[in-house]
Amino acid sequence: MEAGKSRGVIEAGRYAVVKLPSEGLKIVELRSHSTVNLGKFGSFKVDGVLGYSYGQAFEIIDDRNVRPIKSLMESEPTEIDTEEEEITKDKLTELFTASSESNQNIIDIGSKIQKLSNEEIDNLKKSGASSEIGQKIIEQMIAGHEGFDKKTVFSQQKYLRRKQQKFLRRFSVEYLSSTLMLQYYIEKDLPRVLDISPETLGLLMTYGNVRPGGNYLLLDETGGVILYAMLERMIGQGTVLVLHENEHANLNVMKYSNLSEEETKLTVKTASWLLFIEPDTQRIEWQPFTQEEIDQLPPAKKTKYYRRHNRALEINDTLDLIQNGNFDGFISVSTLSMPSVLPYVLDRVGGSRAVAIYNQFKENLLETQHFLQVDKRILAPSIIESRVRPYQTIPGRMHPVMTMRGYGGYVLWGTRVFPAENIQAIGRGMSNKKKNMDRVSS
Amino acid sequence: MLFYRYKDVIEEGDIVMVYIGRQQMKLVNVTLGEVINTRYGHFEHDKMVGKKYGDQMVGAKGYGFIYLLHPTPELWTVSLPHRTQIVYTPDSSYVIQRLNIGPGSRVIEAGTGSASFTHSFARTLGDQGKLFTYEFHEVRCNEARKELERHGLLAVNTTITHRDVCQDGFEIQGEDIRGDAVFLDLPAPWTAIPHLKHVISKEMATGICCFSPCIEQVDKTVAALQEEGWTDIEMVEVMGRRWEARKDMVRDISDVVKRLKDIQARKTQGIEGRRVVKLQSETATPEPNVSYDSGNKRPASTEEDQQKQSESESKEVSPSQQPPSKFQNLGKGFNPFGKGIRVREGDESYAWTQVTKIESDVKSHTSYLTFARNIPTKKQPEENV
Repeated sequence: MEAGKSRGVIEAGRYAVVKLPSEGLKIVELRSHSTVNLGKFGSFKVDGVLGYSYGQAFEIIDDRNVRPIKSLMESEPTEIDTEEEEITKDKLTELFTASSESNQNIIDIGSKIQKLSNEEIDNLKKSGASSEIGQKIIEQMIAGHEGFDKKTVFSQQKYLRRKQQKFLRRFSVEYLSSTLMLQYYIEKDLPRVLDISPETLGLLMTYGNVRPGGNYLLLDETGGVILYAMLERMIGQGTVLVLHENEHANLNVMKYSNLSEEETKLTVKTASWLLFIEPDTQRIEWQPFTQEEIDQLPPAKKTKYYRRHNRALEINDTLDLIQNGNFDGFISVSTLSMPSVLPYVLDRVGGSRAVAIYNQFKENLLETQHFLQVDKRILAPSIIESRVRPYQTIPGRMHPVMTMRGYGGYVLWGTRVFPAENIQAIGRGMSNKKKNMDRVSS
Repeated sequence: MLFYRYKDVIEEGDIVMVYIGRQQMKLVNVTLGEVINTRYGHFEHDKMVGKKYGDQMVGAKGYGFIYLLHPTPELWTVSLPHRTQIVYTPDSSYVIQRLNIGPGSRVIEAGTGSASFTHSFARTLGDQGKLFTYEFHEVRCNEARKELERHGLLAVNTTITHRDVCQDGFEIQGEDIRGDAVFLDLPAPWTAIPHLKHVISKEMATGICCFSPCIEQVDKTVAALQEEGWTDIEMVEVMGRRWEARKDMVRDISDVVKRLKDIQARKTQGIEGRRVVKLQSETATPEPNVSYDSGNKRPASTEEDQQKQSESESKEVSPSQQPPSKFQNLGKGFNPFGKGIRVREGDESYAWTQVTKIESDVKSHTSYLTFARNIPTKKQPEENV
């Protein structure tokens, strides 16, 4: 949410993301002198991670202490502590040099191939909390795996990777970027973010021309993930007016934003649809008391007075913002029917500003585009789709991953224009007109 | 400054994105006395002054029009002169999102190419950020420099350098680059990667994206990144598609049958009719006796058609004397799908379903995007924490 160093270095008192080898994400508050519990991956003392740069991977050693490692999958000790010896991935594979050229000799007998029982694994887990235990479990699992030497080197590595994801007590501390915020909700509750993917979020921010100093109109039904992404690209400069359909806006996600309520209020304004559509009827006639009158109020009434006073100013300010219009863009991630919404919105969007509307269903945007083709206030609307396909990224063995989640949605993008009245286009109508004129003259 | 902030009214000296057609836009510098010529007529710069960005403007002859749009990196991407293959918005927006580039970021871009991505970066970085862009081709570099100057980027946050970064690295004298994001669109990024360690941040993570069309390039890039200590290496592909809203006619099978029956009926009547015509040539053929659906389908013929029909029939003494042609029955009889006449898509006399049609030329492969990051493992002194 902020520029410069605070995006770079892990600091106390902030929300951050903990990434686990299983690729699971957890949003945690880094309170100094506290401990973060990662469930089966163990727990760590916050003080141990402070001062490193975001993205740093750690391994839990004894007594909830950590040490930095190269990455979640490579445990090579980093420059800071090179003295320590340990078994690395490659060394581990070396222990079992026997491997097969092909999978010709593999017979699938399911879990029977593993001699180590779940009970034994559980006992091993209980024997300690450090990452060495994880390594030990993996070693024993390989030893107890009857068909391990019949696997190819590639499949041995894959096996190892899967077990590492399961047993190693490693994690990294990441900056809470909008991508990770979205990723967190995608894993936790995909319908909540209306199926939007990180690539589509990026598309929305770019087509919406979101940048510092802009004054945007936003529909955000994700609880604030979209707002969070916008604020990340505005860093406190400009305003976002969030329209909501209930009495109050649901911006739950902002609790992780590392911004105080006051800071948020400077950039984020909210208005219900009633306020937006009927600003005239919603204005609050407010006569502020004189200082003298205020001074005479009993304390309880004084508080009440100030609350009402601030509320009135806030609402009237928001109404001014709405009535001034000329917004620098309309960004929508909403399930409302756009043909019903846009007639109220388009006049409030400034000339040549972008309109970027997300929907998880192409059909809804199709209807919207047909609506806009008749309306004419949006030039060249298009529906745009972006899908990112990740690859297995190993030199010599590159290929797209075999399955991926089918989600992502679509963005309708167009530009607000002011069509003139009665402009004669050059086209078929034109040549007919000419023909008619020719006929008249001949 | 127009790439950083919106303004409403066009003044002399401003840049305007002239919208001629969907894929046809032209950036002009509003200069009094000048004229822009398009296939839809010519348009005087003088008349642009005082208009609002977003206004539709009529041609000097009173017909034809253009739209006067505000420049944005996205419109620029559509309109720019291609010096090289460009990075399109689905790719560029993903790179910015994934590398978490925002206001205040310090970005290294090589090469500049057509400077399409350069504009997008510059907009996102704001005045607190910094963009270092490098181009090894001298002519292209000079063109790009002029363009960035004209568009106000150099004055805000962008530095362009003529340099072969693969040979000579990224360092700029008197400049502490401290890049926290790197975008390499080079033929051999693996030769540039070893130079990066001198210019990336030593305080915070640096993200990189290498943009290469061939899988062999990715192989070498991944090896170089590993060699240089970059982690979390992942290659992805971005597939961008554009769809347009269209309408497709609903063609009901029962109408097909009805039409066939109509043809049959008229044929019989025609044979009958010709016999009558032979006998009394002055009488016009009677209208075929078919009942139509009341729905929203076009009836056999409109009044106008009937008029033309009767006109032509009165002229042609006998239809049988005319050589048969496939257009002979145009508009006649039950014609539920507008066969033989030009039907405008969405014509209310017919039934339609709403459909999406994919763009005719799909960018089936732009490039592979290889991401990685560099984490400086270093603990800041306690007092700073």
